[in-house]
Amino acid sequence: MIAGVLLQVVLAGLAQGVVLGLVALGFSLVAGTARVLPFAHGDIVVGAAFLAVLAVAGRTPTAAPPGRLASVALLVFTLAAGAALSGLVGGLTVLSDGARQPGPESWIAGGLAAGLLLRAGLAFVLAQQAYALPDALHVDALAPGGLLRLPGGGTVPVRAVCVLAIGLAAGLATEAVLARSRFGAAVRAVADDPAGAALCGVPARRVMVAAFSLAGLLAGLAGLLATPGRAVSVGDGALLGLAAAAAAVLGGIGSPRGALAGGLLIGCLQALAGYAFGTGVADLLPLVLLVAVLAVRPPSGRGGRLTGRPMRRLPSGRSAAAAPR
Amino acid sequence: MTAVGLAQSLWLLLAALGLALPVRYAGIPLLGQGAFVAVGGYAVVLLGPGGTGLPLGVAAGLAVSLAAAAGYLTALATARLDGGYLALATWALAWLVQRAPTAFPDLLGGTEGFSRPAPARLVSRTLGIEVTLTDRTSLLLAAGCCLLALATLARLGRGPLGLELAGLRESAPLAASLGVPVAARRRAVLTWAAALGGLAGAGSTVLTGVISPADVSPLLSLELLAAVLIGPARWWGPVPGVALLAVLPAGPLAGAGSGGVPARGMLVGLLLLAGVVVPLVVRSARLRGWRVVLPGFLRPAQPEPPEPLEHRLEPLEPLEPRPDRLPELWPTVAARPQPALELVSASVRHSGGPVLDDVSLTLRHGEVHALIGPNGSGKSTLLEVLAGSLDAGAVRLGGVPHRARTPVHRARAGVVRTPQQPVVPAGLPPARQVALGASGNGRWSHAGLRQLLGTPLSRVQAAELRAWRAGILDALGLGRLAEADPSRLSTGERQLLQLARAVATGAPVLLFDEPAAGMTAAERAVLRDVLRLLADRGAAVAIVEHDLRLVAAVADRITVLDAGRVLASGAAATVRAEPRVRRALLGEE
Repeated sequence: MIAGVLLQVVLAGLAQGVVLGLVALGFSLVAGTARVLPFAHGDIVVGAAFLAVLAVAGRTPTAAPPGRLASVALLVFTLAAGAALSGLVGGLTVLSDGARQPGPESWIAGGLAAGLLLRAGLAFVLAQQAYALPDALHVDALAPGGLLRLPGGGTVPVRAVCVLAIGLAAGLATEAVLARSRFGAAVRAVADDPAGAALCGVPARRVMVAAFSLAGLLAGLAGLLATPGRAVSVGDGALLGLAAAAAAVLGGIGSPRGALAGGLLIGCLQALAGYAFGTGVADLLPLVLLVAVLAVRPPSGRGGRLTGRPMRRLPSGRSAAAAPR
Repeated sequence: MTAVGLAQSLWLLLAALGLALPVRYAGIPLLGQGAFVAVGGYAVVLLGPGGTGLPLGVAAGLAVSLAAAAGYLTALATARLDGGYLALATWALAWLVQRAPTAFPDLLGGTEGFSRPAPARLVSRTLGIEVTLTDRTSLLLAAGCCLLALATLARLGRGPLGLELAGLRESAPLAASLGVPVAARRRAVLTWAAALGGLAGAGSTVLTGVISPADVSPLLSLELLAAVLIGPARWWGPVPGVALLAVLPAGPLAGAGSGGVPARGMLVGLLLLAGVVVPLVVRSARLRGWRVVLPGFLRPAQPEPPEPLEHRLEPLEPLEPRPDRLPELWPTVAARPQPALELVSASVRHSGGPVLDDVSLTLRHGEVHALIGPNGSGKSTLLEVLAGSLDAGAVRLGGVPHRARTPVHRARAGVVRTPQQPVVPAGLPPARQVALGASGNGRWSHAGLRQLLGTPLSRVQAAELRAWRAGILDALGLGRLAEADPSRLSTGERQLLQLARAVATGAPVLLFDEPAAGMTAAERAVLRDVLRLLADRGAAVAIVEHDLRLVAAVADRITVLDAGRVLASGAAATVRAEPRVRRALLGEE
């Protein structure tokens, strides 16, 4: 009996975790390539889902399964809204970089402002505390009652299994794109050395904005997978973004597979903590992990693992070539 | 506005002033000021009357100490993080502290929070005091705290401590190499920021008698950041921002699952965005050569806006060094034991093979020692070993083993090395950069604290520092550039400025890596005279240099390195005559 419950909990955690992993992958990609941390990323996940629902179903959405046309529209709009929002934030961030501002305050505050404006703007239109959103993918219809029967007599929600499968497939596909394609090579080159890449004819700034957009596409997918089947509030994005940041830092900035794994781990731990101690504690867990991992293993922030080899040292007293041992 | 409302805004201002210290002065993007406010507020409620029952004054003191301790711990935990990740970590802290009451409702009151009877009363039986904190008293208390904080910030900006923080903001590695204890300053800044935040939280909680997670939402941190960023980089910078916040529609911010009044969230978001966009627009407009006239109160004090490119292309004025102006740098150097610095048998290797192979070297006071050799022969590495930043061989400084692990310790021990690529922060005029070097000088220890407290000695010290700084700048020919825009200096002037900064530290062992790189012939002549002057005054100078004519003109001793080994070492004339050296350097057969 307890094993069955645990299985349910872990599976739900993994499903939540793969969503975190997708968001974390985007976070990691942006942090590695554009060398800014996307503080608005979590808000973009929730914002993309709500914008698409607003466009398709209006201001009073219900969880009722949408028609075929509405489903396609919802799917396309969510992905497009994610990519567009993130690309917009990225474009503004990368362009304003041209003014050579001295410190990181401007992009930090800019990202936070973008998230806050998105959240507050949606709250103007969507006044309820929380919403139940429709599912464009219709995964619950795949099995009667939305439950899969296991050989041993237990059941698992088909939604969790589908989310896990789609999320993993999308994450691994993104990794393959980054590792194999021409675009991926450009991304890795910019992550390693933007100036050097630009000298070789790679449009570094455009690649950075493209990395933001790809991250936004993944955020849109995460929104599609995560929002149905639960109460979603306009303000959920901030904590989601921080949990994703924890997963990205845990997995190593710039490592797509690490981000996915970090997301799965955090999702699982969060589900178990929620089962054992309640959701209040489960909410704290990623925050504690984020602070702890940053304190114990600080990321050096330059390109990260996207470059495929250890990061270059930050300018300090000794040069890389002369370091002994 | 009621007295309570005004007092609330003043407590908010105090938190914002605390945040300005890391964000504006030291360039640390702290996002968790709301967390420290929450620590102060919750602590005073939990410890004070109605909680554990401590007297209100004691509880408030403990609350501020707890917040300060939280700030110190935050500084320790984020010591190795660069700007963006520090912001991320402290942003997580802000959420953590706000969510903790919901996770532990029994201990921290849950979403309802706590309420205490207001007005609170300060009672001390031993002192025979009993004060009721009426609206008026609270207002006076808050105003007093704000005025004190404002006065301190204003003083700080003018003195050596403010300069050290500016160094931390512009380039922490540079400040450390000049002997500024950057790690300690960073901890102090975050501790004080947190203490002020905690005081604001305690004060505002005592005033209203209520605290709940809604009062300390992470968006409070954003409000405070917006207030700091929207204002100019002056000591009173956060005041207009907080005044703006005070007139915004009140109510819980949108988000955090509250679905609350979105108008304030929107306005704060716009304020934050304006704080980012306005300086960027002004800056890029100036880069394009447009004249942007800002009303005086909006004009940034530091850094100066960059000038359009064409204005920089003006003929270089000749430098006029005035050796007579050089202050008495090393009065006790004659009493110091020779040799100044001794390196015995240093070997450094990396994957490609040996970089240094059993190299020994001696630097003496009063001599210029040149390290020459082809590229890749290990000159710069040797300089690092001499400076103590690379652990190899045995280094003895004035006869004592020299084991300084951090640049700060090295500078304090009296060894300063300039980097090969000039590091000239654009935000500090040359005079302030040289003063930064002087602030790492042990001669004026605790000058920063003295200036902050306004002790009588501080005025004497300030005058001494000014004379020291001006004398060094004049002696190196940089006198007329003292207040110039650093981004307009020529390469040679930057090199000389690096030298001036190093000299200002008062370190008697000076290691310069290719000081003549990028210099014009006239600047090289100045450099030659300056190096000679420093050695004559007793410094032990080592230079890595490719310009053999300069080396011939200035060096007392020469060490020739080739592929990590010492090819020849000794008095300049002897080494220059060595056939092996001529073969290695000139390709003579």
